[in-house]
Amino acid sequence: MKNLYLFSAVLGGALMMSANASAIDSTGCGLGSLAWRGQSGPAPQILAVTTNTMFGIQTFGITSGTSGCDPNGRITGGTGKMVLAFVENNMEQYALDASRGQGETIETLAGILNMDSDRLGEISQQHFAELFPSQDVDALQVTLKLLEITQA
Amino acid sequence: MRLFAFIIIFICALEGKALAFDARSPEWLALGHYRPRLFGDYQSSIDSDNFFLSPQGKNSPEAELEATIVLFQNEGQNDKKCLFPARYKLLQKNGVSLKPYPKCEELEQFYADLQPAGVTLLFTDAFMNNPASLFGHSLIRIDTKRKGTQLLAHGVNYGAFTNGEENGALYALLGLTGGYFGGFTIKPYYDIINTYNNIENRDIWELNLNFSPEELDFFVAHLWEVGNSLTRYYFFSKNCSYMLMEILDAVRPGLRLADKFPLQAIPLDTVKAVYHSPNLVKEVNYRPSRQAKIEHKYKQMSKPQKKAYLKAIKNEDYSFDGLSDEQKAGVLETTYQFVQYQYVVEDIDLQTYRRRSFALLKQRSNLKAQDTLGELREGKSPLKAHDSMRAVLGFGSRNGQGFQEIAYRPAYHSLTDDNFGFRRGAEINFLNAVFRHYDNDDNFVLQKLDIVGVRTISPMNEMFQPLSYQIKADISREFNPNNEKDVYVFNFVAGGGAAYELVEDALSVYAMNNAYLAYGGGLPHNQWAGIGLAAGVYADFGRLRLLGEAEKVFATSHFADKMKYKLEAAVTLSSDWALAADYIYQQNYGHDLEEAMISLRYYF
Repeated sequence: MKNLYLFSAVLGGALMMSANASAIDSTGCGLGSLAWRGQSGPAPQILAVTTNTMFGIQTFGITSGTSGCDPNGRITGGTGKMVLAFVENNMEQYALDASRGQGETIETLAGILNMDSDRLGEISQQHFAELFPSQDVDALQVTLKLLEITQA
Repeated sequence: MRLFAFIIIFICALEGKALAFDARSPEWLALGHYRPRLFGDYQSSIDSDNFFLSPQGKNSPEAELEATIVLFQNEGQNDKKCLFPARYKLLQKNGVSLKPYPKCEELEQFYADLQPAGVTLLFTDAFMNNPASLFGHSLIRIDTKRKGTQLLAHGVNYGAFTNGEENGALYALLGLTGGYFGGFTIKPYYDIINTYNNIENRDIWELNLNFSPEELDFFVAHLWEVGNSLTRYYFFSKNCSYMLMEILDAVRPGLRLADKFPLQAIPLDTVKAVYHSPNLVKEVNYRPSRQAKIEHKYKQMSKPQKKAYLKAIKNEDYSFDGLSDEQKAGVLETTYQFVQYQYVVEDIDLQTYRRRSFALLKQRSNLKAQDTLGELREGKSPLKAHDSMRAVLGFGSRNGQGFQEIAYRPAYHSLTDDNFGFRRGAEINFLNAVFRHYDNDDNFVLQKLDIVGVRTISPMNEMFQPLSYQIKADISREFNPNNEKDVYVFNFVAGGGAAYELVEDALSVYAMNNAYLAYGGGLPHNQWAGIGLAAGVYADFGRLRLLGEAEKVFATSHFADKMKYKLEAAVTLSSDWALAADYIYQQNYGHDLEEAMISLRYYF
């Protein structure tokens, strides 16, 4: 009986998982991956999977959480780099927040830019047509424009 | 006897070495992820060599402690010292005299990027489109003190490194038997939100933990230590949720969370264990999925708004005539969210998506008014959902013969179990074993073993058109109409269909096409195949759930060629108890089967 139960557990699990599953999260950036440098065994392979050094610029669209990721998976660098990384990964939500002049991404960007979030909301809405001049605008253009209008 | 003597000598040998700190203290054991084995010895859960300083480290807390003290009491080897900041902190706190901790640039950068302000345990609810995500998922967020919002915090995820082999039997087998290594990855919290809330449409529950500044510092230091390590991944036991328990134990050994999950660690159970630990959870927040947000907005819209909204999502008609600016703002924003949803589920292509998004937002940016429809702030907390294990005690009659039934199900949720905190209409039964005693024959039998059963009844509406489906495999004792005897049959069924809601959030009707395969020594020709056409009603009135289904099965064998009627009702009595009634009637060439049962369900 116990064996049947065990067998069933394995079979059941296999059935559950054998359907097309993008299951256990294997993307994302390796934590402390620098420490693996120069090691043999499975580590370098994992390093290859986990360090998504993606430097292509995200255009208007939803990202699946792997683009614009720093090699170590962390938010890092100075204001400009942080704004770019944030806009790249949150473009669709920032576009909405900019069009209505408020929202979580406005509050976040205001934090990075060290400015008042109501003010950023106001100018984002005001300058919406410059920030998003066309449907094919990319994150770099939005970032440069955002930095420009917030400096003014 | 000889073994006993050996153990004594062994223990004495260890005690002979006076270490500056107790290697069997809960703090050291938890920090090294040492778990008890038979005869009181310990082994670390961590499998990679880089987590240990001593070659015997995996199996000997003493050897590892000794090597750690030697490292920190001597000059040099700064690279190694920089890998174990939490060990240093623990020894230092306990008065072991050590050389000063070196300057570690990478570690300092880690702290500088994280800017830790607290720790939050995250639970994401089930994702029915992915077999490995049916039980939900848990991960950890390191809150940030950066100015702005927690979008700039970081999520820490424990998962298997599958090298992209994510389908097929090999993947399943390796996932279940420790064939993959698991490790920790880190990502900005906004990525986590995008993945779960926006792409997979799953709710996120955030449990803010009540850590002191010292505990927070120790947590981050320990995360750095395990960040380099690898552990064999087991889908049911040493999985995403279990390893987080060991991590929390390392910060507060008194929690003993890992002890609670020796065999299986279901994400929701682990999150509940954290929630019920004294003085551990400060507050719980809810972040609804995009789909939940859209549905919430739609429900609140006025009639003209709804009409305009449906025209916008169906015909790309963005005129919104006759609406006030406030009403327009609400419709524009909700339509925009719906377009995002459509793109994610691949209903529209990138060009359509961009065109629509841009047109909507351009119009929205010209309105000063704000949307006045309320935000979704509260959900039905899974923390208050019934527990995963279920035992059933029932009394019934099968073709006039009385029986008593006992059943045990390790996981997880049936359609007629209380849906509070679960996805309504999403059923996952795993290894449900049903035993019966029949009065007339006075025999005790295995009536049924549900190896696995996944079923969803997801109503379609004008916005969302999910598929309702089922996949089941079981071994059951079935009535053979040829000789009116019971035989064991292995059944496999897969089906798909559609459901429609007749009463909002309460009553749905559904239709499903099923394909059957059955095998058993007692069957004519040992097997049969068939198709079934089923129609049913599913009602959920909170405390009372009803399920009624009629199905006509056309099969290659008279054995299974039948008309089946099923009725099931359950009433919640308390959070742990429910009362249920089942009725089955099967017509089969004049050899009918009728069965009725009343049962008590206990959740634990």
